[in-house]
Amino acid sequence: MGTAPAQLFPEFLVETFGLPGVLGEVVAALIAAAVVGNIVLAFTGVAGPWAKRKITAAFTDRIAVNRVGPFGLLIIPASAVQLLAKELIVPEGVDRPAWDIAPVILPASALLGFSVIPMGRLGPINFHLADPEVGFALVFAFASIASVSLVMAGYASNNKYSLLGGLRAVAQNLAYEIPLIVTAMSVVLFAGTLQMSGIVSAQTTTLVTIAGFDIPAWYAFVNPFAFVLFLTANMAEIGRNPFDIPEAPTEIVAGYQTEYSSAYFVLFYLGEFVHIFLGGAILAVTFLGGASGPGPESIGFIWFVVKIWGFFLFTQWARSALPRVRIDQLIEIGWKGMLVLSFANLVLTAVIVGVIA
Amino acid sequence: MSDWIAIGALAAVGLLIPIGMMTVSALLRPSVPETGKSTTYESGETPTGGTKIRFNIQYYMVALLFVVFDIETVLLFPWAVIYRPAIQAGVPMTALLWPMLAFVGILAIGLVWAWRSGAISWARSPRATSRKTERDLN
Repeated sequence: MGTAPAQLFPEFLVETFGLPGVLGEVVAALIAAAVVGNIVLAFTGVAGPWAKRKITAAFTDRIAVNRVGPFGLLIIPASAVQLLAKELIVPEGVDRPAWDIAPVILPASALLGFSVIPMGRLGPINFHLADPEVGFALVFAFASIASVSLVMAGYASNNKYSLLGGLRAVAQNLAYEIPLIVTAMSVVLFAGTLQMSGIVSAQTTTLVTIAGFDIPAWYAFVNPFAFVLFLTANMAEIGRNPFDIPEAPTEIVAGYQTEYSSAYFVLFYLGEFVHIFLGGAILAVTFLGGASGPGPESIGFIWFVVKIWGFFLFTQWARSALPRVRIDQLIEIGWKGMLVLSFANLVLTAVIVGVIA
Repeated sequence: MSDWIAIGALAAVGLLIPIGMMTVSALLRPSVPETGKSTTYESGETPTGGTKIRFNIQYYMVALLFVVFDIETVLLFPWAVIYRPAIQAGVPMTALLWPMLAFVGILAIGLVWAWRSGAISWARSPRATSRKTERDLN
Protein backbone atom coordinates (compact mmCIF):
# COMPACT_ATOMS: atom_id res chain seq x y z
CA MET A 1 0.00 0.00 0.00
CA GLY A 2 1.01 3.61 -0.45
CA THR A 3 3.83 4.87 -2.61
CA ALA A 4 7.57 4.47 -2.07
CA PRO A 5 8.47 4.67 1.63
CA ALA A 6 9.46 8.15 2.74
CA GLN A 7 13.11 8.80 3.38
CA LEU A 8 13.90 8.50 7.10
CA PHE A 9 15.74 11.20 9.02
CA PRO A 10 19.10 9.35 9.37
CA GLU A 11 19.04 8.37 5.67
CA PHE A 12 18.48 12.00 4.78
CA LEU A 13 21.54 13.01 6.80
CA VAL A 14 23.66 10.25 5.25
CA GLU A 15 22.69 11.44 1.78
CA THR A 16 23.02 15.17 2.41
CA PHE A 17 26.42 15.05 4.09
CA GLY A 18 27.72 12.01 2.21
CA LEU A 19 28.60 10.05 5.35
CA PRO A 20 30.20 6.75 4.29
CA GLY A 21 29.81 3.22 5.64
CA VAL A 22 28.47 1.92 8.92
CA LEU A 23 30.26 4.63 10.90
CA GLY A 24 28.50 7.25 8.81
CA GLU A 25 25.16 5.58 9.58
CA VAL A 26 25.90 5.57 13.29
CA VAL A 27 26.92 9.24 13.26
CA ALA A 28 23.82 10.19 11.25
CA ALA A 29 21.61 8.17 13.60
CA LEU A 30 23.14 9.86 16.66
CA ILE A 31 22.65 13.35 15.19
CA ALA A 32 19.07 12.55 14.19
CA ALA A 33 18.36 11.04 17.62
CA ALA A 34 19.79 14.11 19.36
CA VAL A 35 17.57 16.40 17.25
CA VAL A 36 14.42 14.35 17.93
CA GLY A 37 15.28 14.00 21.62
CA ASN A 38 15.77 17.74 21.98
CA ILE A 39 12.53 18.54 20.16
CA VAL A 40 10.67 16.37 22.67
CA LEU A 41 12.60 17.94 25.55
CA ALA A 42 11.69 21.40 24.24
CA PHE A 43 8.00 20.40 24.33
CA THR A 44 8.31 19.21 27.93
CA GLY A 45 10.27 22.36 28.80
CA VAL A 46 7.39 24.53 27.60
CA ALA A 47 4.71 22.22 29.00
CA GLY A 48 6.10 21.54 32.49
CA PRO A 49 7.10 24.82 34.13
CA TRP A 50 4.92 27.13 32.02
CA ALA A 51 1.97 25.73 30.02
CA LYS A 52 0.71 23.44 32.78
CA ARG A 53 0.64 26.28 35.30
CA LYS A 54 -0.95 28.71 32.86
CA ILE A 55 -3.64 26.19 31.90
CA THR A 56 -4.45 25.23 35.49
CA ALA A 57 -4.57 28.92 36.37
CA ALA A 58 -7.00 29.59 33.54
CA PHE A 59 -9.27 26.80 34.83
CA THR A 60 -9.20 28.14 38.38
CA ASP A 61 -9.52 31.82 37.36
CA ARG A 62 -6.01 32.90 38.28
CA ILE A 63 -3.14 34.44 36.28
CA ALA A 64 -0.12 32.32 37.33
CA VAL A 65 3.46 32.93 36.17
CA ASN A 66 3.66 36.44 34.65
CA ARG A 67 6.64 38.15 36.30
CA VAL A 68 9.67 36.72 34.47
CA GLY A 69 9.83 37.73 30.83
CA PRO A 70 6.96 38.09 28.33
CA PHE A 71 3.94 36.02 29.47
CA GLY A 72 6.22 34.64 32.17
CA LEU A 73 8.00 32.52 29.55
CA LEU A 74 11.45 33.02 31.07
CA ILE A 75 10.26 30.96 34.04
CA ILE A 76 11.35 27.98 31.93
CA PRO A 77 15.15 28.57 32.11
CA ALA A 78 14.74 29.98 35.62
CA SER A 79 13.02 26.81 36.83
CA ALA A 80 15.58 24.61 35.09
CA VAL A 81 18.51 26.33 36.82
CA GLN A 82 16.71 26.51 40.14
CA LEU A 83 15.74 22.84 40.21
CA LEU A 84 19.14 21.58 39.07
CA ALA A 85 20.90 23.68 41.73
CA LYS A 86 18.76 22.31 44.59
CA GLU A 87 20.33 20.14 47.23
CA LEU A 88 19.76 16.43 46.81
CA ILE A 89 18.44 14.96 50.04
CA VAL A 90 19.05 11.22 50.24
CA PRO A 91 16.66 9.79 52.84
CA GLU A 92 17.70 7.16 55.37
CA GLY A 93 17.51 3.54 54.36
CA VAL A 94 16.94 3.99 50.62
CA ASP A 95 17.89 1.07 48.42
CA ARG A 96 20.76 2.89 46.75
CA PRO A 97 21.35 1.59 43.22
CA ALA A 98 17.63 1.17 42.54
CA TRP A 99 16.81 4.59 43.98
CA ASP A 100 19.31 6.23 41.61
CA ILE A 101 18.44 4.23 38.50
CA ALA A 102 14.65 4.73 38.66
CA PRO A 103 14.73 8.43 37.62
CA VAL A 104 16.88 7.55 34.59
CA ILE A 105 14.58 4.80 33.34
CA LEU A 106 11.37 6.88 33.17
CA PRO A 107 12.53 9.63 30.75
CA ALA A 108 14.81 7.23 28.83
CA SER A 109 12.02 4.72 28.12
CA ALA A 110 9.53 7.42 27.14
CA LEU A 111 12.07 9.07 24.81
CA LEU A 112 12.89 5.68 23.30
CA GLY A 113 9.24 5.37 22.23
CA PHE A 114 9.70 8.35 19.90
CA SER A 115 12.23 6.39 17.82
CA VAL A 116 9.49 4.72 15.76
CA ILE A 117 6.96 7.58 15.71
CA PRO A 118 6.54 9.18 12.26
CA MET A 119 6.40 12.84 13.19
CA GLY A 120 5.93 14.11 9.65
CA ARG A 121 7.81 16.42 7.34
CA LEU A 122 9.10 19.92 7.79
CA GLY A 123 10.52 20.97 4.43
CA PRO A 124 12.88 18.26 3.20
CA ILE A 125 13.32 16.60 6.60
CA ASN A 126 11.09 13.69 7.57
CA PHE A 127 11.15 13.50 11.39
CA HIS A 128 11.05 9.73 11.59
CA LEU A 129 14.04 7.91 13.02
CA ALA A 130 13.27 4.28 12.33
CA ASP A 131 10.51 2.34 10.62
CA PRO A 132 10.89 -1.35 11.53
CA GLU A 133 8.17 -3.79 10.53
CA VAL A 134 7.21 -4.34 14.18
CA GLY A 135 7.15 -0.63 15.01
CA PHE A 136 3.59 -0.61 16.32
CA ALA A 137 4.22 -3.40 18.83
CA LEU A 138 7.57 -1.88 19.75
CA VAL A 139 6.15 1.51 20.75
CA PHE A 140 3.79 -0.08 23.29
CA ALA A 141 6.67 -2.15 24.66
CA PHE A 142 8.79 0.98 25.14
CA ALA A 143 5.91 2.92 26.68
CA SER A 144 5.25 0.28 29.34
CA ILE A 145 8.84 0.19 30.62
CA ALA A 146 7.87 3.33 32.56
CA SER A 147 5.98 1.36 35.19
CA VAL A 148 9.19 -0.52 36.05
CA SER A 149 10.67 2.83 37.00
CA LEU A 150 7.68 3.69 39.17
CA VAL A 151 7.87 0.39 41.03
CA MET A 152 11.63 0.75 41.54
CA ALA A 153 11.19 4.28 42.89
CA GLY A 154 8.31 3.23 45.11
CA TYR A 155 10.01 0.22 46.61
CA ALA A 156 13.51 1.73 46.97
CA SER A 157 12.41 4.95 48.69
CA ASN A 158 11.78 3.39 52.12
CA ASN A 159 8.65 5.51 52.45
CA LYS A 160 5.13 4.22 52.98
CA TYR A 161 3.55 6.65 50.55
CA SER A 162 6.08 5.72 47.88
CA LEU A 163 5.45 2.01 48.44
CA LEU A 164 1.71 2.54 48.04
CA GLY A 165 2.31 4.62 44.90
CA GLY A 166 4.51 1.92 43.37
CA LEU A 167 1.97 -0.82 44.11
CA ARG A 168 -0.81 1.30 42.64
CA ALA A 169 1.27 1.86 39.49
CA VAL A 170 1.49 -1.91 38.98
CA ALA A 171 -2.22 -2.48 39.59
CA GLN A 172 -3.09 0.29 37.15
CA ASN A 173 -0.81 -0.97 34.41
CA LEU A 174 -2.05 -4.53 34.78
CA ALA A 175 -5.63 -3.33 34.45
CA TYR A 176 -5.13 -1.13 31.37
CA GLU A 177 -2.38 -2.69 29.30
CA ILE A 178 -4.59 -5.40 27.78
CA PRO A 179 -7.52 -3.13 26.74
CA LEU A 180 -5.01 -0.66 25.29
CA ILE A 181 -3.25 -3.22 23.13
CA VAL A 182 -6.40 -5.11 22.11
CA THR A 183 -8.00 -1.83 21.00
CA ALA A 184 -4.84 -0.95 19.08
CA MET A 185 -5.09 -4.39 17.46
CA SER A 186 -8.45 -3.45 15.97
CA VAL A 187 -6.57 -0.74 14.06
CA VAL A 188 -4.07 -3.33 12.84
CA LEU A 189 -7.03 -5.31 11.45
CA PHE A 190 -7.87 -2.31 9.24
CA ALA A 191 -4.31 -1.44 8.26
CA GLY A 192 -2.99 -5.00 7.87
CA THR A 193 0.51 -4.00 8.97
CA LEU A 194 2.49 -3.22 12.11
CA GLN A 195 4.74 -0.75 10.32
CA MET A 196 4.13 2.81 11.54
CA SER A 197 4.38 4.36 8.07
CA GLY A 198 1.91 1.76 6.79
CA ILE A 199 -0.62 2.59 9.52
CA VAL A 200 -0.34 6.30 8.71
CA SER A 201 -0.59 5.84 4.94
CA ALA A 202 -3.64 3.58 5.37
CA GLN A 203 -5.43 6.61 6.83
CA THR A 204 -4.76 8.97 3.91
CA THR A 205 -7.74 7.93 1.78
CA THR A 206 -10.98 9.89 1.84
CA LEU A 207 -13.76 8.38 3.93
CA VAL A 208 -16.72 10.50 2.79
CA THR A 209 -17.17 13.87 1.18
CA ILE A 210 -19.68 16.11 2.94
CA ALA A 211 -20.59 19.34 1.10
CA GLY A 212 -17.37 19.32 -0.88
CA PHE A 213 -15.29 18.84 2.28
CA ASP A 214 -13.23 15.65 2.34
CA ILE A 215 -13.23 13.75 5.63
CA PRO A 216 -10.06 11.63 5.75
CA ALA A 217 -10.27 7.97 6.76
CA TRP A 218 -8.66 8.54 10.13
CA TYR A 219 -9.43 5.59 12.36
CA ALA A 220 -11.00 7.97 14.87
CA PHE A 221 -13.72 8.60 12.25
CA VAL A 222 -13.79 5.02 10.96
CA ASN A 223 -14.14 3.50 14.43
CA PRO A 224 -15.03 6.17 17.03
CA PHE A 225 -15.85 3.56 19.66
CA ALA A 226 -12.30 2.19 19.52
CA PHE A 227 -11.00 5.76 19.67
CA VAL A 228 -12.82 6.48 22.93
CA LEU A 229 -11.69 3.16 24.43
CA PHE A 230 -8.11 3.80 23.39
CA LEU A 231 -8.17 7.36 24.72
CA THR A 232 -9.39 6.14 28.12
CA ALA A 233 -6.84 3.32 28.32
CA ASN A 234 -4.14 5.73 27.18
CA MET A 235 -4.94 8.15 30.02
CA ALA A 236 -4.49 5.26 32.45
CA GLU A 237 -1.31 4.10 30.74
CA ILE A 238 0.33 7.50 31.15
CA GLY A 239 -1.16 7.92 34.63
CA ARG A 240 -3.10 11.17 34.14
CA ASN A 241 -6.46 12.19 35.63
CA PRO A 242 -8.85 10.60 36.19
CA PHE A 243 -6.33 7.77 36.55
CA ASP A 244 -3.47 9.52 38.37
CA ILE A 245 -3.73 7.19 41.36
CA PRO A 246 -0.01 6.24 41.52
CA GLU A 247 0.66 9.89 42.34
CA ALA A 248 -2.64 10.97 43.91
CA PRO A 249 -1.37 14.12 45.67
CA THR A 250 -4.42 14.40 47.91
CA GLU A 251 -4.15 10.82 49.15
CA ILE A 252 -0.54 9.67 49.26
CA VAL A 253 1.47 12.96 49.15
CA ALA A 254 3.24 12.40 45.82
CA GLY A 255 3.22 8.63 45.52
CA TYR A 256 6.38 7.08 44.18
CA GLN A 257 8.24 10.41 43.91
CA THR A 258 7.69 11.57 47.51
CA GLU A 259 11.34 11.13 48.51
CA TYR A 260 12.93 12.60 45.40
CA SER A 261 14.44 16.08 45.24
CA SER A 262 16.76 18.13 43.04
CA ALA A 263 17.70 16.68 39.62
CA TYR A 264 16.11 13.34 40.50
CA PHE A 265 12.73 15.00 40.95
CA VAL A 266 13.22 16.95 37.71
CA LEU A 267 13.84 13.69 35.86
CA PHE A 268 10.59 12.17 37.14
CA TYR A 269 8.66 15.32 36.32
CA LEU A 270 10.23 15.53 32.86
CA GLY A 271 9.76 11.82 32.25
CA GLU A 272 6.06 12.12 33.00
CA PHE A 273 5.67 14.89 30.45
CA VAL A 274 7.64 12.96 27.83
CA HIS A 275 5.31 10.06 28.57
CA ILE A 276 2.24 12.29 28.05
CA PHE A 277 3.62 13.44 24.71
CA LEU A 278 4.44 9.85 23.76
CA GLY A 279 0.85 8.90 24.60
CA GLY A 280 -0.34 11.76 22.41
CA ALA A 281 1.99 10.68 19.61
CA ILE A 282 0.73 7.08 19.73
CA LEU A 283 -2.85 8.36 19.69
CA ALA A 284 -2.10 10.67 16.75
CA VAL A 285 -0.46 7.93 14.70
CA THR A 286 -3.07 5.30 15.51
CA PHE A 287 -6.29 7.24 15.25
CA LEU A 288 -5.66 10.78 13.99
CA GLY A 289 -3.82 10.13 10.75
CA GLY A 290 -0.31 10.84 12.03
CA ALA A 291 1.08 13.97 10.43
CA SER A 292 -1.68 14.38 7.83
CA GLY A 293 -3.71 17.54 7.64
CA PRO A 294 -4.76 20.29 5.26
CA GLY A 295 -1.98 21.81 3.18
CA PRO A 296 1.09 20.28 1.55
CA GLU A 297 2.81 17.22 2.98
CA SER A 298 5.91 19.28 3.78
CA ILE A 299 4.22 20.97 6.77
CA GLY A 300 3.03 17.68 8.26
CA PHE A 301 5.28 18.12 11.29
CA ILE A 302 3.29 21.19 12.31
CA TRP A 303 0.04 19.21 12.20
CA PHE A 304 1.67 16.49 14.27
CA VAL A 305 2.76 19.03 16.88
CA VAL A 306 -0.77 20.47 16.92
CA LYS A 307 -2.19 16.98 17.52
CA ILE A 308 0.11 16.03 20.38
CA TRP A 309 -0.37 19.43 22.01
CA GLY A 310 -4.09 18.92 21.59
CA PHE A 311 -3.75 15.69 23.53
CA PHE A 312 -1.66 17.47 26.17
CA LEU A 313 -4.38 20.13 26.55
CA PHE A 314 -6.93 17.35 26.87
CA THR A 315 -4.97 15.78 29.75
CA GLN A 316 -4.77 19.18 31.43
CA TRP A 317 -8.50 19.71 31.00
CA ALA A 318 -9.07 16.28 32.54
CA ARG A 319 -6.74 17.23 35.39
CA SER A 320 -8.88 20.24 36.25
CA ALA A 321 -12.29 18.85 35.43
CA LEU A 322 -12.48 15.17 36.35
CA PRO A 323 -12.38 13.56 39.81
CA ARG A 324 -9.90 10.76 40.44
CA VAL A 325 -11.25 7.21 40.48
CA ARG A 326 -10.46 5.00 43.46
CA ILE A 327 -8.02 2.13 43.06
CA ASP A 328 -10.71 -0.54 43.55
CA GLN A 329 -12.96 1.26 41.05
CA LEU A 330 -10.04 1.34 38.62
CA ILE A 331 -9.52 -2.42 38.85
CA GLU A 332 -13.23 -2.96 38.24
CA ILE A 333 -13.42 -0.51 35.31
CA GLY A 334 -10.32 -2.09 33.77
CA TRP A 335 -11.09 -5.76 34.15
CA LYS A 336 -14.89 -5.84 34.08
CA GLY A 337 -15.57 -2.99 31.68
CA MET A 338 -12.71 -2.07 29.37
CA LEU A 339 -11.38 -5.59 28.85
CA VAL A 340 -14.77 -6.95 27.80
CA LEU A 341 -15.50 -3.92 25.63
CA SER A 342 -12.11 -4.05 23.93
CA PHE A 343 -12.54 -7.71 22.98
CA ALA A 344 -16.07 -6.99 21.76
CA ASN A 345 -14.62 -4.18 19.66
CA LEU A 346 -11.96 -6.50 18.26
CA VAL A 347 -14.45 -9.18 17.20
CA LEU A 348 -16.86 -6.61 15.75
CA THR A 349 -14.07 -4.90 13.83
CA ALA A 350 -12.92 -8.24 12.47
CA VAL A 351 -16.43 -8.97 11.19
CA ILE A 352 -16.79 -5.49 9.65
CA VAL A 353 -13.36 -5.68 7.98
CA GLY A 354 -14.26 -9.16 6.71
CA VAL A 355 -17.51 -7.87 5.17
CA ILE A 356 -16.19 -4.69 3.55
CA ALA A 357 -12.75 -5.91 2.47
CA MET B 1 19.48 -2.63 9.66
CA SER B 2 19.72 1.13 9.92
CA ASP B 3 16.35 1.06 11.76
CA TRP B 4 17.95 -0.62 14.74
CA ILE B 5 21.00 1.66 14.62
CA ALA B 6 18.62 4.64 14.86
CA ILE B 7 16.67 3.07 17.75
CA GLY B 8 19.94 2.31 19.53
CA ALA B 9 21.08 5.89 18.94
CA LEU B 10 17.92 7.27 20.55
CA ALA B 11 18.40 4.85 23.46
CA ALA B 12 21.91 6.25 23.93
CA VAL B 13 20.63 9.84 23.73
CA GLY B 14 17.77 8.95 26.07
CA LEU B 15 20.24 7.66 28.68
CA LEU B 16 22.72 10.51 28.16
CA ILE B 17 20.15 13.24 28.81
CA PRO B 18 19.15 12.13 32.34
CA ILE B 19 22.69 11.13 33.28
CA GLY B 20 23.96 14.48 31.98
CA MET B 21 21.36 16.32 34.04
CA MET B 22 22.35 14.35 37.15
CA THR B 23 26.01 15.19 36.53
CA VAL B 24 25.38 18.91 35.99
CA SER B 25 23.25 18.99 39.11
CA ALA B 26 25.94 17.17 41.11
CA LEU B 27 28.42 19.90 40.13
CA LEU B 28 26.04 22.76 40.96
CA ARG B 29 24.19 21.74 44.07
CA PRO B 30 25.21 22.39 47.65
CA SER B 31 25.42 19.70 50.32
CA VAL B 32 24.34 20.72 53.80
CA PRO B 33 24.07 17.56 55.88
CA GLU B 34 21.90 18.03 58.94
CA THR B 35 20.43 15.56 61.35
CA GLY B 36 16.74 15.06 60.88
CA LYS B 37 16.80 16.25 57.31
CA SER B 38 17.25 12.79 55.91
CA THR B 39 14.36 11.05 57.65
CA THR B 40 11.66 9.82 55.30
CA TYR B 41 8.55 11.95 54.97
CA GLU B 42 5.62 10.82 57.04
CA SER B 43 3.46 13.93 57.32
CA GLY B 44 5.97 15.59 59.63
CA GLU B 45 5.84 12.84 62.25
CA THR B 46 8.77 10.65 63.21
CA PRO B 47 8.54 7.65 60.88
CA THR B 48 7.39 4.46 62.56
CA GLY B 49 8.98 1.29 61.24
CA GLY B 50 10.31 0.67 57.75
CA THR B 51 8.71 -0.37 54.54
CA LYS B 52 10.37 -3.77 54.28
CA ILE B 53 7.25 -5.37 55.66
CA ARG B 54 4.71 -7.92 54.57
CA PHE B 55 1.84 -6.28 52.81
CA ASN B 56 -1.34 -7.41 51.18
CA ILE B 57 -0.82 -7.65 47.43
CA GLN B 58 -4.39 -6.97 46.46
CA TYR B 59 -3.94 -7.75 42.82
CA TYR B 60 -2.03 -11.03 43.03
CA MET B 61 -4.77 -12.93 41.20
CA VAL B 62 -5.13 -10.05 38.77
CA ALA B 63 -1.41 -10.28 38.00
CA LEU B 64 -1.77 -13.97 37.20
CA LEU B 65 -4.70 -13.20 34.90
CA PHE B 66 -2.65 -10.45 33.29
CA VAL B 67 0.10 -12.88 32.30
CA VAL B 68 -2.44 -15.12 30.58
CA PHE B 69 -4.11 -12.27 28.71
CA ASP B 70 -0.80 -10.69 27.80
CA ILE B 71 0.34 -13.87 26.10
CA GLU B 72 -3.02 -14.00 24.37
CA THR B 73 -2.57 -10.50 22.91
CA VAL B 74 0.93 -11.37 21.72
CA LEU B 75 -0.43 -14.46 19.96
CA LEU B 76 -3.28 -12.46 18.43
CA PHE B 77 -1.00 -9.87 16.81
CA PRO B 78 0.17 -12.08 13.89
CA TRP B 79 -3.46 -13.02 13.26
CA ALA B 80 -4.47 -9.35 13.15
CA VAL B 81 -1.69 -8.55 10.69
CA ILE B 82 -2.56 -11.27 8.15
CA TYR B 83 -6.35 -10.97 8.54
CA ARG B 84 -7.10 -8.33 5.90
CA PRO B 85 -4.53 -9.48 3.31
CA ALA B 86 -5.84 -13.04 3.68
CA ILE B 87 -9.45 -11.96 3.09
CA GLN B 88 -8.39 -9.92 0.07
CA ALA B 89 -6.59 -13.02 -1.22
CA GLY B 90 -9.91 -14.88 -1.16
CA VAL B 91 -9.88 -16.86 2.10
CA PRO B 92 -13.47 -17.08 3.44
CA MET B 93 -14.07 -14.90 6.50
CA THR B 94 -15.42 -17.70 8.70
CA ALA B 95 -12.28 -19.77 8.18
CA LEU B 96 -10.27 -16.87 9.62
CA LEU B 97 -12.72 -15.90 12.38
CA TRP B 98 -13.55 -19.24 14.03
CA PRO B 99 -10.04 -20.09 15.31
CA MET B 100 -9.71 -16.61 16.84
CA LEU B 101 -13.19 -16.75 18.37
CA ALA B 102 -12.43 -20.15 19.90
CA PHE B 103 -9.14 -18.86 21.27
CA VAL B 104 -10.66 -15.71 22.77
CA GLY B 105 -13.66 -17.72 23.95
CA ILE B 106 -11.58 -20.06 26.07
CA LEU B 107 -9.99 -17.08 27.83
CA ALA B 108 -13.37 -15.37 28.14
CA ILE B 109 -14.62 -18.43 30.04
CA GLY B 110 -11.56 -18.09 32.27
CA LEU B 111 -12.40 -14.43 32.85
CA VAL B 112 -16.00 -15.30 33.76
CA TRP B 113 -14.72 -17.86 36.26
CA ALA B 114 -12.30 -15.34 37.78
CA TRP B 115 -15.06 -12.73 37.90
CA ARG B 116 -17.49 -15.09 39.68
CA SER B 117 -14.88 -16.26 42.17
CA GLY B 118 -14.12 -12.64 43.07
CA ALA B 119 -10.51 -12.68 41.86
CA ILE B 120 -10.79 -9.35 40.06
CA SER B 121 -12.44 -7.47 42.89
CA TRP B 122 -10.49 -5.43 45.40
CA ALA B 123 -10.01 -7.83 48.31
CA ARG B 124 -10.36 -6.64 51.89
CA SER B 125 -7.59 -7.77 54.15
CA PRO B 126 -8.72 -9.83 57.17
CA ARG B 127 -7.41 -7.09 59.46
CA ALA B 128 -9.43 -4.39 57.73
CA THR B 129 -12.52 -6.57 57.90
CA SER B 130 -12.10 -7.29 61.61
CA ARG B 131 -11.47 -3.63 62.38
CA LYS B 132 -14.63 -2.70 60.51
CA THR B 133 -16.67 -5.21 62.52
CA GLU B 134 -15.25 -3.87 65.78
CA ARG B 135 -16.22 -0.37 64.82
CA ASP B 136 -19.65 -1.47 63.75
CA LEU B 137 -20.23 -3.20 67.11
CA ASN B 138 -19.49 0.05 68.94
